Amino acid sequence: MTTTTQKWKNYISHEPHSMEEKMAASSSSTASNANIPEYEYIDVNTKPFHIGSFRNLWLERLKPCHYSYQEEDEEAFEADFAKEMGISMEIMGELKAICSIDSLSCHPADETPDPEVVPPDSTLKTLLQRKKRQDYKNNLKINRSGRHDFYADELDRLTVGRKPEEANDMIPEGEVILTINIYYPAIYDRFNYVRPHMTLMMTGSHSLADLRDAICCVSDLQVCGEFSSTPDMAPDFISKDHYKSAFFFFEGVFYNDMRFPECQDISMTTIEWAKSRNFPSYRQGKMEDVLLADLEVKVGFPYLYCHQGDCEHLVIITDVRLSHKNDCLDRKLYPLLTHKHRVITRKCSVCHVYIGRWLTTNDQFAPSNPCLFCDKCFRMLHYDVQGNKLGEFLAYPFVDPGAFN
Amino acid sequence: MQFCREKVKADCEELLGRFQQTDSVRFESFSAVWRSMKFSQVFYGTLGAEKKAFSREVLDTACSFFLPPFTFQIRVGGLYLLYSLYLSQSATPPQQIRLALKDWEHVKQFEHDAVEAQHLDTVYVLRQLLLHKAFHFTATPRLLSYQKKRKARRLPDCEAFVERPTRPQQLVSGDLLEELSNVQQHYERLKASICAAPDQPDPSLTLTRGDLVPRLQDAVLEFHRGQRLEAAPREDDDDESGGEGTSAQLECSRRAELLASIKSKSYGQAVEVSKSRRHRQVELGLASDSETAAASSSHRTHRMSLKARTNKNVQITGELKQETVKQTKLWCLTKLDSAPEDVPRKFPKFKW
Repeated sequence: MTTTTQKWKNYISHEPHSMEEKMAASSSSTASNANIPEYEYIDVNTKPFHIGSFRNLWLERLKPCHYSYQEEDEEAFEADFAKEMGISMEIMGELKAICSIDSLSCHPADETPDPEVVPPDSTLKTLLQRKKRQDYKNNLKINRSGRHDFYADELDRLTVGRKPEEANDMIPEGEVILTINIYYPAIYDRFNYVRPHMTLMMTGSHSLADLRDAICCVSDLQVCGEFSSTPDMAPDFISKDHYKSAFFFFEGVFYNDMRFPECQDISMTTIEWAKSRNFPSYRQGKMEDVLLADLEVKVGFPYLYCHQGDCEHLVIITDVRLSHKNDCLDRKLYPLLTHKHRVITRKCSVCHVYIGRWLTTNDQFAPSNPCLFCDKCFRMLHYDVQGNKLGEFLAYPFVDPGAFN
Repeated sequence: MQFCREKVKADCEELLGRFQQTDSVRFESFSAVWRSMKFSQVFYGTLGAEKKAFSREVLDTACSFFLPPFTFQIRVGGLYLLYSLYLSQSATPPQQIRLALKDWEHVKQFEHDAVEAQHLDTVYVLRQLLLHKAFHFTATPRLLSYQKKRKARRLPDCEAFVERPTRPQQLVSGDLLEELSNVQQHYERLKASICAAPDQPDPSLTLTRGDLVPRLQDAVLEFHRGQRLEAAPREDDDDESGGEGTSAQLECSRRAELLASIKSKSYGQAVEVSKSRRHRQVELGLASDSETAAASSSHRTHRMSLKARTNKNVQITGELKQETVKQTKLWCLTKLDSAPEDVPRKFPKFKW
């Protein structure tokens, strides 16, 4: 009896232990599953996951042939398939014929319909809608299909399926590719419904500093200072060279740019402000040390990029996936710009032809305050032949946001 | 391409609905439906950059039919649809089908099921897609750019395509039964070990049924059988869309009784209503919910935009009005003499 009770006691005392082990095992298995992206809000954004682990999870599940860039041999595939399913080559040939693309063609063999024209007699709802839309567009007196539509995928077209010249520059098979949207700072009302942004494709081996360098924003190009008396002396130094500090904010961590001695930790202000107001504490990191594959982020969730002190861009990772043979495979071309919004440029108020280069205030010649001028009109209006300043005004060099178009 | 999402989905549902009526998973029957609907034409008339966006949209929509919760037949149809769309799309280079990591398990399971059932064409089509590298292995099924709408409009899934409820089967899986029998064995052994006489267990300790596992299995199998039995008549009365009302109700309650009896036999517990009835109730509840929501939202005071408020509050009359109506172009210092007077142009607006 005593031995059995002893056993019982042993068992009881062991029980929690084994339970604990079980719990640990189950929690570790959920931890690995946590990197399978799940929606936090359906069709809006996912829960945070680690990008490197996400890639590994895919690679564990796939066979190398699924993501390799090599074309596979059709005949070998057929032979394998027939063998695996235990069917003869005759049946295989039959199967191939049934599933061929010819079985899907919707028009008689002697006709070739024009794929550019919406068929008038279709019953598909999509086509009815498209027909209606095209009829409306053709009705318009002014053809407003602008350059925006025309050039929409221009950048994409240039690089798609590009192979590198040297084999070393090939993006390795199974590399993870991120598509990142960087939105323009929302300073205009009209930005509320169009969301002008640029789209960058980057690989997991890029650091955040690479991302920072790939973002182009006019506030990096501005020249500070008033040069009305010496317009020729306007310096070439742009803000980018003066103020190099910047940070990204992802999932409660500020990643500061600390590559140069003059860089400051500009996230400190925010962190201290948050600390004094009982916000959850934020951490800091260095952007040059963090690879995109190390990040733990939500896909589809807006994050922040801040530079020049207060130029704030939203950053949204719209897509994370494995590389594909149709992608641009030249590593040198990454970070790859695939979309850029074209901003309307503001023209000189005299000639309405050239893009504004100078901005004047308190200008007695100008119709408005402030006012924009191109270089030529500015000089003709404000200076005499010898280059002497006429009248009172303040002049600042100006870089138009459309300068990148 | 948001604007055509609804229509594309309706077209796909129409196609798959017809495919469902053929009661087959052969590619021949699918391609016959495809040809009869002239579905290849769906790509006709897209121009320029629109091609890419439209391919993306239509593939994303089709991909949702390839994944649960749809029935096996619809998923096969979804796969064929993806294959056909992928091959006949007009965008160059072709857009890939986006497959999310969480859905890969389902695809593997689907392939396994198809191989088991010797659906050669299904397996062939899936392997062909993999061979042609038609998939992007992604994190999410769609590109996400935080497009939040105040009123989220989610298109409902077509109900006829959805698998009948299989929760009990999911709950009582093979793994669970095995685990359960292990626990049971362990428990019996433990009881035996603490008893004085190992061969004669203390009758006061027999608290559980020894045959729990086989009984549970039987119950689930019986439930599944019952579900299949009633599935056949149900599909019939779905077809005759006219007289659905009372007969369906009767059908429903009959089924409920049947299921309740099965359940009470197996679990020894009273059960409220059948799965399908409960499902209908939920549906009803939702409808009434949305109605009340709509009613309450109409009560909410709608705040006018700044522009509307300005127009309302600031009243300008006479000549001044003429001037304010005209666009002020202060920055225009110069103007050609021959330039015509600006006439406010009217653009007809497109109504969807």
